[in-house]
Amino acid sequence: MRPEVTLAIDTSAAHCAAALLFRGREVEAFEEMATGQAERLMPMVEALLAGQGLGWPDVTLLAVGTGPGNFTGVRIAVAAARGLALGLGVPLVGVTSLQALRFGHEGALACLDARRGAVYVQGEGAAALAEWEELSGFSPAFTVGYRADDLALRFGGTVLPTPSLVLNIARVAAAGQGGAPAPFYLRGADALPPSDPPPVIL
Amino acid sequence: MVLTLLGIESSCDDSAAAVVRSDRAVLSSVVEGQAALHAPFGGVVPEIAARAHAEKLDGCVARALAEAGVGLADLDAVAVTSGPGLIGGVLSGVMLARGIAAATGLPLVGVNHLAGHALTPRLTDGLEFPYLMLLVSGGHCQFLMVSGPGEFRRLGGTIDDAPGEAFDKVAKLLALPQPGGPPLEAEALKGDAKRFALPRPLLDRPGCDMSFSGLKTAVLRARDALIAEHGGLRRQDRADLCASFQAAVAAVLAEKTRRALAESEAPVLAVAGGVAANSVIRAALQGVCEKAGVGFTAPPLRLCTDNAAMIAWAGIEKLQAGLVDPADLTARPRWPLDAMAAPMIGSGKKGAKA
Repeated sequence: MRPEVTLAIDTSAAHCAAALLFRGREVEAFEEMATGQAERLMPMVEALLAGQGLGWPDVTLLAVGTGPGNFTGVRIAVAAARGLALGLGVPLVGVTSLQALRFGHEGALACLDARRGAVYVQGEGAAALAEWEELSGFSPAFTVGYRADDLALRFGGTVLPTPSLVLNIARVAAAGQGGAPAPFYLRGADALPPSDPPPVIL
Repeated sequence: MVLTLLGIESSCDDSAAAVVRSDRAVLSSVVEGQAALHAPFGGVVPEIAARAHAEKLDGCVARALAEAGVGLADLDAVAVTSGPGLIGGVLSGVMLARGIAAATGLPLVGVNHLAGHALTPRLTDGLEFPYLMLLVSGGHCQFLMVSGPGEFRRLGGTIDDAPGEAFDKVAKLLALPQPGGPPLEAEALKGDAKRFALPRPLLDRPGCDMSFSGLKTAVLRARDALIAEHGGLRRQDRADLCASFQAAVAAVLAEKTRRALAESEAPVLAVAGGVAANSVIRAALQGVCEKAGVGFTAPPLRLCTDNAAMIAWAGIEKLQAGLVDPADLTARPRWPLDAMAAPMIGSGKKGAKA
């Protein structure tokens, strides 16, 4: 049996990131970038693989960060990962950023900046989009991610250092805890029905 | 050597994948529309379209391969629409294609969506260059002189709405379902095309440019006058409005086609796009061609509206002509086919839209 090689990619925020788990080793590539992930992602992954003496056919499990985050960014990695899975014929799992932040810390409250005064949060229950000011009802053992210090002051718990998102995405997948490789938006598409009603037909 | 390509299309509201051979065999053509998703909004919502593409496209590819009875190993390249269009959908298609290409080592060909339409008559009818193409759809309306796989000269086009867009908007004004083309055509059958004197925009100006936005406004005014008079829109009035509107669009397209044929001296006219399925418009265009003594061809509807077979075919033509350029793989919302022509729409800092 060939050794397990897990490849994770993530472009759900202003970055382009990839990670490899194989033979007990963990390596990652990370670049901050607001735009250009579509062009950068594949060359970055190819360099990461080549740096470890690996190629595409060596990959046995794919993982992709599904957000929540930048809509377009999430789709860039998800679409690429689906193409890779189709081409390589290997399984693909999706891992949300909140799942990745909480990995290894069951009682953690994870938080991501959702802009416009809102945050994406996940504690014991399901992930949610919420106003920062209106967060309530948490009693976490740990806090992690965006404004983790403030969360710990408000709700208690120990502040965890922010982990590498893409490495944790790979770890979640390798641990068999991934989900569907579909974008996880948490926020609607912001489309409004037409304002002018149709005429009455006599 | 016979080439076999996978094509991927996602520039508007159809997720599509197809397998096509260079001997003009369409082995499969899968199109998954999104009409129901956008219907409540009265038009295509870009973010909703992008979300659907991201979830559906890889399934379309798998189905296209299965229906064609080929595996990725049987392919010679992957062709993908990289513009112009709604950028969210285009990006989903391009990234899916990049993933497939990376995993398989297959070459990747970035295709202009408009080139896909413009080259379709060569796939369906084996048409020789040169010919005049009238692309008339929900998002586009232009006359293109097609002289080679990468040689397109735009003779004119709409300066505002595309006719398909006008059909949709007028259908909405008249409480008809979306997409508006087929129901509007059905209503028009019951109506009097001469009842309302709607404008024929830009017919009084020389050249092949068109405008359809004012026509839509004229329908709105006529509708509001009828509603004010009767307290609602009567069915016969609606049918007459539909027939009058459709006649106006047909008249504008016919006259501008006559001019484009005269200017280009093309031996044949090919039409593509969903609006070409309208039988009144099609008959008007055929009539113009008969009078001018030039040939007329319209690909079958399934290859005439958005699909991926045309993208695979355009990819084949690009490969065979040695026109593959890695820069064409960058997803872009704007990408005029005729780079030399003055921009018509979206002439701002981002450049011409199409």
